[in-house]
Amino acid sequence: MAAERGLFIYGIVPSDVEPTPDAEGVGNPPGEVTAIRHGEVAALVSEVGLAEPMGRPADLTAYERLLDGTAEVAPVLPVRFGTVVTGEDAVGELLAAHQERFAADLAELENRRQYTVHGRFDEQEFIGEFLTENRAAAELADQVRGRPEVESREQRIRLGEMISQAVELRREAQNAALIDAVGRHTVANAPRQPSHELDAVNVAFLVGADDEEEFIRAVEEFAEQRRELIRMRLLGPLAPYDFVGAHQLVE
Amino acid sequence: MSIATTTGQPGGALERTGGGGGGTLADVIETVLDKGVVIDAQVSVAVVGIQLLEINARIVIASVETYLRFAEIVDRLSITPKGTKGLPDIVGDAAGGATKGKAISGLGRAAKEITGVVVDSLSDHDVDRPRQRRSWEEER
Repeated sequence: MAAERGLFIYGIVPSDVEPTPDAEGVGNPPGEVTAIRHGEVAALVSEVGLAEPMGRPADLTAYERLLDGTAEVAPVLPVRFGTVVTGEDAVGELLAAHQERFAADLAELENRRQYTVHGRFDEQEFIGEFLTENRAAAELADQVRGRPEVESREQRIRLGEMISQAVELRREAQNAALIDAVGRHTVANAPRQPSHELDAVNVAFLVGADDEEEFIRAVEEFAEQRRELIRMRLLGPLAPYDFVGAHQLVE
Repeated sequence: MSIATTTGQPGGALERTGGGGGGTLADVIETVLDKGVVIDAQVSVAVVGIQLLEINARIVIASVETYLRFAEIVDRLSITPKGTKGLPDIVGDAAGGATKGKAISGLGRAAKEITGVVVDSLSDHDVDRPRQRRSWEEER
């Protein structure tokens, strides 16, 4: 049975971008990535079977690898994962309709890439510090420790809620402190939603190529100052996933 | 074409993970999910609805469950509030030593929770290796 096919769109790039032969797309087996051009802009696409379920770990990884790899060499506007159109004509129409907008956005992203700073509180360190500073919480901790949950449930919930609120407050403060500390080396920032109860910082930054070294040094310094309290990670360089929000196409 | 390494200065406080899907599966999902330019049917009638496996980003919502978990940490860890006087000696248990490395193993859990599909046979790393891709296929 000849299954129906569609084109999975990864991102929009300047029309002089050429996918390398080793570029692998989503799907199983991985689709071949090609560029469909219209004037100054192009779309990176690969063929997918419409019946094939999309979103396996390998698909997500292939999608990110292609976009991040492209961002290494050229500006790219990521298109939301899972966007599939009927065929080449549809891609051409899409590019034709939004060419100026895409070209302007790509020009803005020239030589700029995303880095994401993600930190998580060390639970022992954070809670220890919190109990030291908060007498009411320390007293509750005493009532909770060593007692089974059935006997101390109410105190446990109260204590947990206090800790949870403290994490939230500290997180806001840490995000602000990070933006304050490294912001001068960046073009833009976008705080992200926490992905864990003990998330300490989670902010995406758009960084110009000339500022990358300074930016990374500033993040290292920020991490160093908090090394006992926060396990800090720097992801990137990435395609500008968090900086195309304003480019949603609404008509 | 891609950088897929996790590095860090020896002894440095900042762990670095390159782009290109080189991080954990949780990293990939968190980085790409619900991001990017949205092209929907209003813009182009040629957009096709495809079947997307359910991928749920982990949304953090404060709940009683979270509170109890925090209290459990207090219970489990031997925390002596630093510089606090007048509190009874609350150490007494040996649990503290065994909880090092907790944050790291916690990441694996997060990845499984996020995907909403069966990924138990996959480690967080190297999800794209052919060998593991096959084992994924066999599971389906």
